[in-house]
Amino acid sequence: MGDFFYGLTDWLRTTVLLDWAFWIETTGFNRLLVENFWGVPIAQVLHIIGIGAAFAATLMMTLRVNNLAGTARSIPEVSARYIPWIWWGLLWIIVSGLLMLWAEPVRNMVNGVFWVKMALLVVTVLVTLAYQKSVSAAATVGGAGWNVGGGMRLTGWFIIILWCLIMAHGRWIAYAPV
Amino acid sequence: MAFAYPEPTNIWESIEYSSLGTSIAESLWAFPTLETIHVIALVTVFGTIAIMDLRLLGLAGNKWTVLEMSKDTLKWTWAGFVLAAITGTLLFTSKASTYMVNPYFLIKMGLLALAGLNMAYFHFVTYKTVNEWDASPVMPSGAKFAAVTSLVLWIGVVFCGRAIGFTLGIYY
Repeated sequence: MGDFFYGLTDWLRTTVLLDWAFWIETTGFNRLLVENFWGVPIAQVLHIIGIGAAFAATLMMTLRVNNLAGTARSIPEVSARYIPWIWWGLLWIIVSGLLMLWAEPVRNMVNGVFWVKMALLVVTVLVTLAYQKSVSAAATVGGAGWNVGGGMRLTGWFIIILWCLIMAHGRWIAYAPV
Repeated sequence: MAFAYPEPTNIWESIEYSSLGTSIAESLWAFPTLETIHVIALVTVFGTIAIMDLRLLGLAGNKWTVLEMSKDTLKWTWAGFVLAAITGTLLFTSKASTYMVNPYFLIKMGLLALAGLNMAYFHFVTYKTVNEWDASPVMPSGAKFAAVTSLVLWIGVVFCGRAIGFTLGIYY
């Protein structure tokens, strides 16, 4: 595992990403974030708040699909409450993540853990989109008495695991050799 | 040869130099792994509390009663909190004396205590009349106050948690 990330980072160092990272370091906005002691910590706090909003909304959806919370309400009702928070939360996460990227471009862009995190994020977005579409369609067809099948219940937990993996990679960015 | 730690001069050093504290500090993976679990637990706590607070403020989920919302979220908030407390304690043991002189750590502990008091007051005083406003989209001022206080305190906890990481070497 360590060898994989080390090799990936070694390769990233040979790509144009390194030049881009150095260019970002010359921008005024990078200077602003770096020269203010609280720039990066505040960006991280904003990032964590966004993750809290989106992850908790995802968790509540998964719990409802698995009949572990919100069972007094239909799945479309629960979806209407939480799905917008997942996507607006994700937008917030991306914007605050860009602030962190801009403040520390080399640490992030020339880092294998960061790019595995990005790949996991893309997979999570695609799986979530497909999942929300199929649950919504099945709920419409099934009506009030519809009970979620085993595959959909498991997919909900799979999305939770993907979020946990993204958070784990987010934390390990700090420990990867750049 | 094992690294020799100095004789502890206070309780915090005793914790830090204990076999548990030194094992976590010396391990390449233990501290980041505990931090990862701490973060996952923390976002669960913050996110589920925010869901409840937004309902109390009448900003989201107003079609659901407060009791329903509480039933949905509270056990997950507690599950996350227990996990965050366990992992936080383990992280603390590895650098106990450094944390104890860090103002952001001490403020974080204070904010956690205030968040606990705010929750206790809400639960034992404001919540007594919940049946009167349970389904109302407009909450009593006591409930709104508890929700705003909770959000401010928890954002403060997150801020101090991050600030600790950026100031560890400063306060020795």
